[in-house]
Amino acid sequence: MSDRDTDASAVLDVLKDSLNHVGMQTPAEQIVAAGRARERRRFAGVAAGVVAGAAAITGAALGLTAPAGTGAAGTAAGGVHIRTVAYSVDSQTDGTVRVTWDKQRYFEDHEGLQAALREAGFPVLIKVGEFCRGPQDAGTLSPSGVGPGVEKVMMGERGSDGRVTFVFTPAAMPAGTQLFIGYLSPAQLAAVGGNPGSVERLVPTGVPLTCTTEPPPAHLRSPGGPPKK
Amino acid sequence: MRLLRRVRDVKQQEFTEFYRSEQAVCLRAVLVSVQDRQLAEDLVAEAFTRAWTSWHKVSCHPEPRAWIVRTALNARVSWWRRRRREVAWEGTHDVEDLAAGGSGLDPALLAALRRLSQRQREVIACRVFLDLDTGGTASVLGIAPGTVTAHLSRAVASLRGHLVNEGDREVGP
Repeated sequence: MSDRDTDASAVLDVLKDSLNHVGMQTPAEQIVAAGRARERRRFAGVAAGVVAGAAAITGAALGLTAPAGTGAAGTAAGGVHIRTVAYSVDSQTDGTVRVTWDKQRYFEDHEGLQAALREAGFPVLIKVGEFCRGPQDAGTLSPSGVGPGVEKVMMGERGSDGRVTFVFTPAAMPAGTQLFIGYLSPAQLAAVGGNPGSVERLVPTGVPLTCTTEPPPAHLRSPGGPPKK
Repeated sequence: MRLLRRVRDVKQQEFTEFYRSEQAVCLRAVLVSVQDRQLAEDLVAEAFTRAWTSWHKVSCHPEPRAWIVRTALNARVSWWRRRRREVAWEGTHDVEDLAAGGSGLDPALLAALRRLSQRQREVIACRVFLDLDTGGTASVLGIAPGTVTAHLSRAVASLRGHLVNEGDREVGP
């Protein structure tokens, strides 16, 4: 080996050694959970496609015609339409995204909901048990856990069946901003008496966020107040 | 059903072993390329998540670590494109500060890496951190073996000058 090779090897060894302390902080279990959630979504998408295809074939066979332009309730013909046991995400013709979720199951697949919303064009960061804010955010929250400006991009609607549907408006999201949703973990929910159930804030993208596991203060609601999230 | 569960358990065990043994090397290789600790963590996590969903393919890959690193770097390109559409670019100053701040990395090392071209950093990632030979590196990066050698030689020259200069400053009066 020449001196030149030895010298090059020494330089690269210095570089290699300087990163010896670096390792992933993400546990294997979290990667596996994310992978499984992605597989479930893929399966749900394939299943929905098969059902939709079968319905189209059946409709054609029976000579049925669909309303022009949109499906029922303003659902966009293109866009994102995902239904799992934990949540549903549907792009609408007016550019909004309608979302429902099952509170019992979202803990298992909040990453799936996050990916589905992002796929539908709505920038969002969802965590469980952790509450984040941007570096310039004073941390102001309403008693129900909602930060300033959130109502312009996310609104809850209670249907006649009592089920709450959330309407997300991507066009109203300020540039360089995403919606942060932090669901309280079961222990945190118990600590605040079940309300608020989540924290929503607008947070900047592309900068480190300040996160804490300290839940927001309990919200003691008056009878007949707004529905719990 | 029991057979399905067993297959699932085997997959999880194999994947978890692979992750635990290779995550650090993959992270370091990607970190050299992107020079941002958090971004590298996110990209490698994304690549391993994709590896889980394609485990039947990745587990048979001749260089699964290289698959992870290549996938992470490809994800970076697509994330960057998406972000470019969504967010107005605010200049590089803030990004560089964020990359160094709180990353636990030597700022001098980051500065030395920034002086290299993207391709030079990728060659170093493959040759130094993944222990690939010239042919393997050429195959992963889709370039000629001679190009690998040339990039590595230039990268070493640049790093040598910078790291030696930094060393000289440290031992000075």
